Amino acid sequence: MGSRALLMLTNFNFKTTVSSFGSASNPFFLIKNNLRTRNFSTKTRSSLQPPDLPGLAETARISLAPNEVEEFAPKIGQVIDWFGQLQAVDLDNVEPAIRADTEGDNLREDAPQTFENKEALIASVPSYEEPYIKVPKVLNKE
Amino acid sequence: MASTLFRTIQIHPFFLYPTALFSRRNGVLYCTMKSSQTQTATQEKQQPPKVKVPQHALKKTVDKITRDYEAIIGIETHVQLSTLTKAFCSCPYNYGSQPNTNICPICMGLPGALPVLNSKVIEFAVKLGLALNCKLSLNSKFDRKQYFYPDLPKGYQISQFDIPIATGGYVDLDLPLEFGGGHRKFGITRVHMEEDAGKLLHSGNGDYSQVDLNRAGVPLLEIVSEPDMRTGIEAAEYAAELQRVVRYLGISNGNMQEGSLRCDVNVSIRPVGQSEFGTKVEIKNLNSFSSINRAIDFEISRQALLHSQGQSDQIVQETRLWEEGAQKTVTMRKKEGLSDYRYFPEPDLPEVILTQEYVDSISNSLPELPEAKRRRYEKMGLSMQDVLFLANDMNVAEYFDETLSSGADIKLAANWIMGDIAAYMKNEKLSINDIKLTPQELAELIASIKSGTISGKIGKEILSELLAKGGTVKGLIEEKDLIQIADPVEIGKMIDKVISENPKQLEQYRSGKTKLQGFFAGQVMKLSKGKANPGLLNKILLEKLNGQS
Repeated sequence: MGSRALLMLTNFNFKTTVSSFGSASNPFFLIKNNLRTRNFSTKTRSSLQPPDLPGLAETARISLAPNEVEEFAPKIGQVIDWFGQLQAVDLDNVEPAIRADTEGDNLREDAPQTFENKEALIASVPSYEEPYIKVPKVLNKE
Repeated sequence: MASTLFRTIQIHPFFLYPTALFSRRNGVLYCTMKSSQTQTATQEKQQPPKVKVPQHALKKTVDKITRDYEAIIGIETHVQLSTLTKAFCSCPYNYGSQPNTNICPICMGLPGALPVLNSKVIEFAVKLGLALNCKLSLNSKFDRKQYFYPDLPKGYQISQFDIPIATGGYVDLDLPLEFGGGHRKFGITRVHMEEDAGKLLHSGNGDYSQVDLNRAGVPLLEIVSEPDMRTGIEAAEYAAELQRVVRYLGISNGNMQEGSLRCDVNVSIRPVGQSEFGTKVEIKNLNSFSSINRAIDFEISRQALLHSQGQSDQIVQETRLWEEGAQKTVTMRKKEGLSDYRYFPEPDLPEVILTQEYVDSISNSLPELPEAKRRRYEKMGLSMQDVLFLANDMNVAEYFDETLSSGADIKLAANWIMGDIAAYMKNEKLSINDIKLTPQELAELIASIKSGTISGKIGKEILSELLAKGGTVKGLIEEKDLIQIADPVEIGKMIDKVISENPKQLEQYRSGKTKLQGFFAGQVMKLSKGKANPGLLNKILLEKLNGQS
């Protein structure tokens, strides 16, 4: 069912209906006539407002200089707009997909296998003091 | 450290409790600990010195105040699964390994490494979901939960957000009888799969912390309860029941000291009669059932006190730590709004698809669960105290069941297991699987006493030998010539001998000192090497002493 949704997306001509996307208040992948009520993870953003860029940078632990904020803001805005266009896709009668990819299970047996090149792993750690990885002192999350 | 404290509490619960405040609940605590002690008996090595805790300055009036409020308690439990490998890579995991030895590019979060789900994680999640009476999602997925912390090398945790594998279940349990007892049903909101983070150690001195990534990527099931609990003891018993369930299922060792079962508790209070919830406070660092119980009761009284003093605005949404030494909760961090974890579907993992046949096959393979066992034992006519003891540990229950299937009397089997056998296990620090006495021989022993082949006293003697060395009841009876003497003539002869050897006592007896019957009985029993049938002995003895023959 996921691939069906994907197919519809790929066949869709975005340009023709840019003006007609009506439900900007819904996240773009929430489907009307949704048979099963599901609480999608990305529902937290209730509209497609461009994000507060300094705030976004902070949550991603990225430092942005004021001139960089100026430079990135319109670019991020464009991405958001592009997502907005997807809302125009008519998904009536399409069953909601959890994932785009439904290749099926790719599971592993519960059989231990030791990674051999451990020296290389340890060597790549910036600060290591046998047997621990050393990090700046942190006491509280967030 | 944590385990030391845990053991201390188990052994000296009365000394640690703020006695002025919760004297009634002390006993509850003791019982809870008693049951968990049985489960962990093999891990206890020695008794640590008693921990002295300053008495709380809280007055008895607090008890009165808390009666005006109702506590709402919900629990999030993390169960570490006993798979051989981690959730998304083939690294082995063993508790206590040398730090940073069970690691690979996947669990270290190195660029380009891709996770592959361990099939056992799904199997265990389905088992637990079914055992907790949940509805399973035949289609679910993994999501990324973003946060930055050095124990999380990827910068995100692979978890399940909006579509957990199991939802909407419940758990049944029985509160210990001596503290009011009663049956409880607590709702389970959801069960989801996720990975554990590494371990972070904060060095005492120095400005750095140390990370051990052995635990990073180890599979967990998070169980979220409905806010259905009202007291510390209910919460502790809920956690104890989850421990029983995961142990019965064989999906986790459920060991709290090692952190295989971790409970975070949410507590809020509201005036009795109010429908909306109060501000909720989260408590972490609960390493035992007793600390769950005590931390909650402490937190309830702390919040009730603030309420009653008109300072309810000082109850803020925060995370508090339970300090075992001081027996109180302290602020760890205040929450400023909801953290933005920016969940999104994990792109490196496919959808998790369960077929109905798969679910059915697991459902059919589930063992008899604690609740079913308790109800079955109850129907057999056992008392709730017996029921709770026997069903607490799956191996004890299995032993009991096997003893019964060898034909033993229900109540007698329960008494032997809960009495002499449990005492032996406790003294020798053994689990029931370690003792040499087989359930079949226990049944034989019970039958031999019941039929009068041996006396109850000799039965106890044989038991200790069977427990330590094994062997058969029949073999021991023959080898030691222990068969009970139930021949009235033979017993009569022994009585005659004892009476003739003690003319002075006989005279005293006949002049009214009838208490001396016990003396004669003891002498005869000694002469018979404990083998005389006591009932018969006393009957004949009485006749002879009173000169009837």
